[in-house]
Amino acid sequence: MKIIFRAVFITVAAAAVFWLWTILFPSPEKLVLKKISQLAATATFTGNDGNLTRAAKVSNFIGFFSTDAEITIDAPELGVHTLSGRDEIREAAARGFTGLAALNVQFLDVGVRIGPGKQTAEVSCTARVNGNDKKDYGVQEMRFQLKKIDGDWLITRAETVKTLS
Amino acid sequence: MQSANDISVRPHWLRVVLIGRRPKATLIRIAVLVVACFVTFKFILLPIRIEGISMQPTFRDGQINCVNRLAYFRHEPQRGDIVSVRLAGPSISYMKRIIGLPGEKVSFHEGHAFINGRLLDEPYVKFACDWEHEPIACGPTQYYVVGDNRSMPFNDHKQGRAERDHIIGKSIL
Repeated sequence: MKIIFRAVFITVAAAAVFWLWTILFPSPEKLVLKKISQLAATATFTGNDGNLTRAAKVSNFIGFFSTDAEITIDAPELGVHTLSGRDEIREAAARGFTGLAALNVQFLDVGVRIGPGKQTAEVSCTARVNGNDKKDYGVQEMRFQLKKIDGDWLITRAETVKTLS
Repeated sequence: MQSANDISVRPHWLRVVLIGRRPKATLIRIAVLVVACFVTFKFILLPIRIEGISMQPTFRDGQINCVNRLAYFRHEPQRGDIVSVRLAGPSISYMKRIIGLPGEKVSFHEGHAFINGRLLDEPYVKFACDWEHEPIACGPTQYYVVGDNRSMPFNDHKQGRAERDHIIGKSIL
């Protein structure tokens, strides 16, 4: 009985240590997943959010990108648009945050691939977006490239992927 | 006539309704059912809800369907199959019909689909269509997919070449 008790105790203690380890020292995959999840949360706003909240969100949104980041959007309704650098992204984000009444962004089926050296990452996901509190939504396959800069994972490239070419 | 002993042994009717006369057997049945459901819906069938009008009249908006993930285990997708084409993952997918196979050229003229210049018989297309499009060549691993509802403008209709590894399976219903 004593042996069983000890074995159970050791197992539970080991699991707790492992859990604590993953909390204190998360893997790069977890950090990147968290970053993408935070990006979706930052890009989401409701009609109740005031101008100050939206301005703060724009500022936070820019913080996800590196200074030389590039966003390429190729959508049938919009055509091909490329935003280069934080300034262009800020302008476009500000237009989006003020021009829409509400926006809900979700990233589904997020897959993370960490590059050799664990300094770069590639993320593929499906973006599900609906704006102005409408029931209809748009879906778009997306790909992000991230780089670890000064200890933080920042998006260096974001692009739409054509599922049906 | 029942004895007092019989009445004390007989389980309460509510217990019988909830867990049966033999709880152990009920537990085993539940476990088997859970495992069967998990295996079926994780690896074999993918339940989906169709949204949008691009597959009308074959499928209506809001209809529930299932995709057989094992449909192409033994053979490759065929022309006319209604398939589910995933985006980044299976959470959201396009439900479309295959009209072009790898290596073929798909074009549209006066609303009719042509494969390598030959008219494709499509009895499932019920609405009038005026699409015009130059031939699009499918690569060695690509299938041309399109919805059955061709009444909308060509550019508003999600269609095109889908990679084989993006095809999850075949529609069941």
